[in-house]
Amino acid sequence: MTETVVEVIDVTKSYAGGAGVRALDGVSVGFATGTFCAVMGPSGSGKSTLLHCAAGLDRPDSGRVLLAGQEISRLREPKLTEARRRRVGFVFQSYNLMDSLSVWHNVLLPQRLAGVRPDRDWAREVMRRVGLAGRENDRPGQLSGGQRQRVALARALAGRPEVIFADEPTGALDISAGREVLALLRDAVDGFGDLGSRSGERSGTAVIMVTHDPAAAAWADRVVFLADGRIVTELADPTAEKVAAQMTAVSAR
Amino acid sequence: MMRLALGTLRRHRGAYLGSFLAAFLAVALLAGAGLLLFSVLTAKPPADRFAAAAAVVSGDREVTLTTTKKKKKNKVKSKTKSERLTGAGTLPADLAGRIAAVPGVVDAVADYAFPVVFPVRGEDDAPVVGHGWASAALTPYTLREGRPPAAGEMVIDADLAARGGLSVGDQVQITTRTGVRSVRVSGVAAPDGRDGLAAQGALFLADRQVPAVSGLDGPTAIAVLAEPATDLAALRAVAGDAPVFTGADKVRGDLPGALPDYIGPISIFGFTIGITAFAAVFVLTGTVALGVRQRLRDLALLRTAGATPGQLRRLLGLESVVLAAVAAVPAMPVGVVVAGLVAARFRALGAVPAQFTVAFNVPVLICAAVAGVLVTFVAARIAGRRAVRIAPTQALTETATAPRGGMLVRVVAALVTAGGAVAVLIFVPLGGPLGMGMSFVSSALLLCAVAALGPVLARGLTAVVGRVAALGGVTGWLAGTVARAESRRVAAVAVPLVLMFAINATMLLNSSLLGELTGDEHAARSAPATAQVTGPGGLPLSVAGDLAALPGVTGAAATLPTRAIVAQGGKPEDYPSQGLFTAGREAAIDLDVRDGQLGGEGTFAASAYLVEQHGWRVGDEVPIWLADGYQVTLRLAAVYQRARGFGEMALPADLVAAHDPRGLVAAVALRYDGDVAAGIHQRWPALRVTPAVAAARAGDAQNQQGAWELMVVISLGFAAIAVVNTFAIAASSRRREYADLRLAGATAGQVHRMATREAAITVTVGLVLGAAVTAVVVGAFSTAQDGIFRLIVDPVTYGGMLAGIAALGMAAGALPIRAVLRRRDLPAVADDH
Ligand SMILES: Nc1ncnc2c1ncn2[C@@H]1O[C@H](COP(=O)(O)OP(=O)(O)OP(=O)(O)O)[C@@H](O)[C@H]1O
Ligand SMILES: [Mg+2]
Repeated sequence: MTETVVEVIDVTKSYAGGAGVRALDGVSVGFATGTFCAVMGPSGSGKSTLLHCAAGLDRPDSGRVLLAGQEISRLREPKLTEARRRRVGFVFQSYNLMDSLSVWHNVLLPQRLAGVRPDRDWAREVMRRVGLAGRENDRPGQLSGGQRQRVALARALAGRPEVIFADEPTGALDISAGREVLALLRDAVDGFGDLGSRSGERSGTAVIMVTHDPAAAAWADRVVFLADGRIVTELADPTAEKVAAQMTAVSAR
Repeated sequence: MMRLALGTLRRHRGAYLGSFLAAFLAVALLAGAGLLLFSVLTAKPPADRFAAAAAVVSGDREVTLTTTKKKKKNKVKSKTKSERLTGAGTLPADLAGRIAAVPGVVDAVADYAFPVVFPVRGEDDAPVVGHGWASAALTPYTLREGRPPAAGEMVIDADLAARGGLSVGDQVQITTRTGVRSVRVSGVAAPDGRDGLAAQGALFLADRQVPAVSGLDGPTAIAVLAEPATDLAALRAVAGDAPVFTGADKVRGDLPGALPDYIGPISIFGFTIGITAFAAVFVLTGTVALGVRQRLRDLALLRTAGATPGQLRRLLGLESVVLAAVAAVPAMPVGVVVAGLVAARFRALGAVPAQFTVAFNVPVLICAAVAGVLVTFVAARIAGRRAVRIAPTQALTETATAPRGGMLVRVVAALVTAGGAVAVLIFVPLGGPLGMGMSFVSSALLLCAVAALGPVLARGLTAVVGRVAALGGVTGWLAGTVARAESRRVAAVAVPLVLMFAINATMLLNSSLLGELTGDEHAARSAPATAQVTGPGGLPLSVAGDLAALPGVTGAAATLPTRAIVAQGGKPEDYPSQGLFTAGREAAIDLDVRDGQLGGEGTFAASAYLVEQHGWRVGDEVPIWLADGYQVTLRLAAVYQRARGFGEMALPADLVAAHDPRGLVAAVALRYDGDVAAGIHQRWPALRVTPAVAAARAGDAQNQQGAWELMVVISLGFAAIAVVNTFAIAASSRRREYADLRLAGATAGQVHRMATREAAITVTVGLVLGAAVTAVVVGAFSTAQDGIFRLIVDPVTYGGMLAGIAALGMAAGALPIRAVLRRRDLPAVADDH
């Protein structure tokens, strides 16, 4: 059974600016628990904006966003942040790690901020999974880009979020490092072979990932295509070839 | 290159704005202080009493010493040092006649000038000066009503007449050192077009009476009325050693004190400019360095774009010059305004003469601007010294860091400055008149040491303070960890706080300690006395003698405030002193004599400080110059301890009365049994009898105190702006960090709390370091005063400073973050690269 963890309903978002850019123009899309969804589209099509609105980082102009059934588009601070940190993890292209904290503290930071006792065993397990066991006391500045990306991923996973938003997480990585990150995201969706579950229930996380790379999109269960702020089409069970072909079609419109 | 620099300007508005503000303030303050100093140095006397004279032959107005040293190879080096007199030397009585005989001289007027205590003072509290009627022609004063004075009469200027409500025929009591007289007003005179001269009231007696009333043994000056073509050389030849003044210099022949004196203000403004210059340079350097640090990432980006370290160095230099030059433009007029405001306040406090005006001088303003630009330039160069060698790859990291190292330079700088501070504290006698200035110098040096070692000290302190903060939940922990990781930034922000606390606390505590000690010593000195007798404006020494001789009086001590000069290493040095007259079988004053015994013909006593300075011993014969330049050799008979608020020397009273033109007793301490006070009231209705301890502090000391406090206010204000400025710069660069925190799930409230706790850590570090510097300086100063080691001195001042600076730091730390966090669109910030 699939239940929708993030639901975006008829969302529009415009940015003030010379032309009054309409970044999202009535987008409706739902993301199911335990699925891996890629968002693709030409540059400037509104992918990042969609991600930000869906994650509650930004407020849509109109429309609604439901996160695990809770309407977050109308939530005020600090309720919004609290909802977000309970349910959501982020992985951005620009890592967004705190440079003055060690890797280990970075990974535990969201849970600490939420005021919950960090699950250290699970965090250690996640660190092992992302291949960073032993680097806990380093500073992010001492790591390579791929390693930092993996720390960001470990941080997102350590809190067992219901959904992880990733904006071009492999954009700065080489092919093999990118593949590792994608494999980890895939694993997270598949519940780590139920290793991370606490009480036996299926713990699969939903992953929503923006990417430009058809090969990366092929790791997903479903690909949503965006152009000019609208969803133009989507693809189930993608392969790199199908995604590439679809992208060409979308770009040519 | 410049376009690249301008491109980064938009991104680093905060840092630029901060440096701009610091440069602006520094230039404004330097310009203001410079103008004030320039104005006192070039201040012109407001009036020339000798306007109608062609030349003035003057008695001694300064003591000059020439020392000749024989050097190798038979070279002789001679040095001449002089010190101004507070009284006026006199000329031989027959000199006027000889000068009158010089060809071309129409008349030579023997001019007598002596201070008189009159019922009213002149405009702006100007002193009243007495003369013979012959002197009236020198200005000239012309009679408006009445007639010239005969014996027992006087002519007063119209201004005094108006102030005192006096008219011809009134009887007025005047006091000079020779006694109290009742004199009849025979006329009212005034200079052309005015009621009186600025800054001095005039009173003319019959010429024959002048020597007796003034107690002068000759004229204080001889004014020469002459034809324009008169041979000055001939005049000089007749005058001999006495200087001949012409033109604007003529006023130098007038009575010192008749015209406003700018010696005090010069030292005050000199000190002000010292403090402001130090604080300005200190703050400016710190701010510029912080600004460069904020831009490390940009520098790295420029390096990736192919800029060489040399190009970056030029870029930073050029940028800083442009920035400071632009800041200097509005700063110069503001400096003029500042100078005006400070001068107005000082006039109101009486720290500068009421006639003082701020001179507008463009070169001074330009110098201030150039100094500001230079300091900014040098600071940018020093800060960029290592920064420009940043590895291009640093552009790719989250927080760029400059190459480490330079620790050796820092340690050496800290050792040198701290060593200098310790040397000052140990070798300069802080108990003396230089004490306050030197305690400032040592705290400034210690501050430099703290600034040099800032990152190291901050690392140590944040480790401790941060751990304490971590006890306060996740935001406290976060604040502590971030502060520890970024101890350089903590140091940069804390240093202005250290400056603010250390400089001002040291000045305030030391001056309050001095005030307290002076009060205590005054009380202890007058403890043996039953009462103090004072008169309006002072009383003649003869009255003091009469008081001492009253039946029932068992002891009396009269003090005549004066100044006396002694030579120190070939340099005449002037010290506040007292003429001391004691009588009776019991002592009425307790100077805490440590060695020898007070009193005795041809002797004097000196403070322990002075004795130590000069290496005197009891029994030594010491040449001393009195206020009118008369030299006398006295034998040191006693060394006393309680000199504060009294003076460094106690001289025979009759000698002081004869050689200080004022020569009046300020107070007579009496020791008696029975109802002596009633008898005094009956015989001298004008005299006041007050219980011993109640006597007030000298007005002069109060003026100084006011000036001092104003300076502290200025310096506090400046430091406060610097503190806010640095905090703001530091906060403006952390937008990204806060956004990252928000992305990691921190609520805006949590970020606020973390920032507040970080500010608390920074403030604590600053105050701990500030308190440490203060402790060293105040402790040493206090020990030097009376052997007691004090740290806090005045709990109210100390606590107030701590609380005030802490509050300022907390506000300065928390408010800019509010501005940074107000931006709602978090992702835009997060993605900002
Ligand atoms: N903060 C902003 N202010 C103004 N306009 C913005 C802002 N952020 C995005 N836009 C505009 O909104 C549109 C969609 O932007 P968005 O960042 O969502 O594109 P994207 O699909 O993520 O592109 P890319 O693949 O290049 O990352 C673009 O036209 C962009 O110029
Ligand atoms: Mg994008």
